[in-house]
Amino acid sequence: MAGIDTKIKRGSGELAILALLDQEPLHGYEISKRIEQQSGGILRFNLASLYPLLYRLEKRGWVQGKWEAAKSGRQRRYYRLTPAGKKQLVPLREEWSLFFRALNRIAGVAHAR
Amino acid sequence: MPDNRRLVKDRLGELGLGPHREEEIVRELSEHLDDHTDDLAQGGLAAVEAHAQALEAVSDWPALRNEIFNAETEEAMMNYRTKVLWLPALGALALSHALLALMQIWGSPPRFHWLSPARSLAPYMVFYAPWLISQPVVGAMAAYWSRRARGTVRHQLLAALAPAIALPGFLLPFLPVAVIVDWPVSHELRFWTGFLVMITTWGLLPAVPLLLGAAPFLRKPHAQS
Repeated sequence: MAGIDTKIKRGSGELAILALLDQEPLHGYEISKRIEQQSGGILRFNLASLYPLLYRLEKRGWVQGKWEAAKSGRQRRYYRLTPAGKKQLVPLREEWSLFFRALNRIAGVAHAR
Repeated sequence: MPDNRRLVKDRLGELGLGPHREEEIVRELSEHLDDHTDDLAQGGLAAVEAHAQALEAVSDWPALRNEIFNAETEEAMMNYRTKVLWLPALGALALSHALLALMQIWGSPPRFHWLSPARSLAPYMVFYAPWLISQPVVGAMAAYWSRRARGTVRHQLLAALAPAIALPGFLLPFLPVAVIVDWPVSHELRFWTGFLVMITTWGLLPAVPLLLGAAPFLRKPHAQS
């Protein structure tokens, strides 16, 4: 399957990260793995694409990173969703839902094979 | 396992974000590389191969450096501009126009200076002395506000001059429209004279007292914090 266009990927990355962190705090590598697993390998965020996005979300105050010991005992920077991030998640979900519904009406993407 | 922290530090170079934040970023990225390498090695790759494959995630380190720098500074820069320029400028504009409105209600009427004896046609200049006299206070307030927020001298100046920039700036886009709509009039000398008079009345004239008021407060921000 052809890769998802970078711009769409970046835009959807914000939603994906916020939605994952809404479930539990995760460190960067866990975030990238979860995104890949839960999207069936369609969305992939590696070191180069993930961290600028994470830092941007952190600067906006939507997520907060904190060094904590991981299960392995090693220190990892865990990201949590802040109340501002939680608030942001609702309109972001609606926005993407609207976007896909609109796209579906035009191009019938739901029936694409 | 290779020293990923050193490798990331070398390839990323200086980020310009301060030693503490840079160290944190280098540590975080290197630990991501460690985890990825471990995962690939557990999947059956040889250690060297696993490390090389993990490194492939970053094809362009200078681009990553720029992306991180932009992510770290973009929002901060917006907040900074709001604090040092937009808020003091809006404050100055609001105060200046509030004073103008109050003076028109309770003060003496403005003086009109006709530029030609044929008053009905010639442009006139509004000279509102009480308002102009009050403008140094506005300039001083805006410059001081911007300086307190750690704005540069340029920010302080722009904030102080905001009332003198705003009105002519607001009217300027209407000029081409006026020229088209009022074609015969716009080709007469009085149209252009009127325009220059407007710029002088609402731009250049208030700029002088605004600058005079701001001048004692124009200073470089302190280096600390």
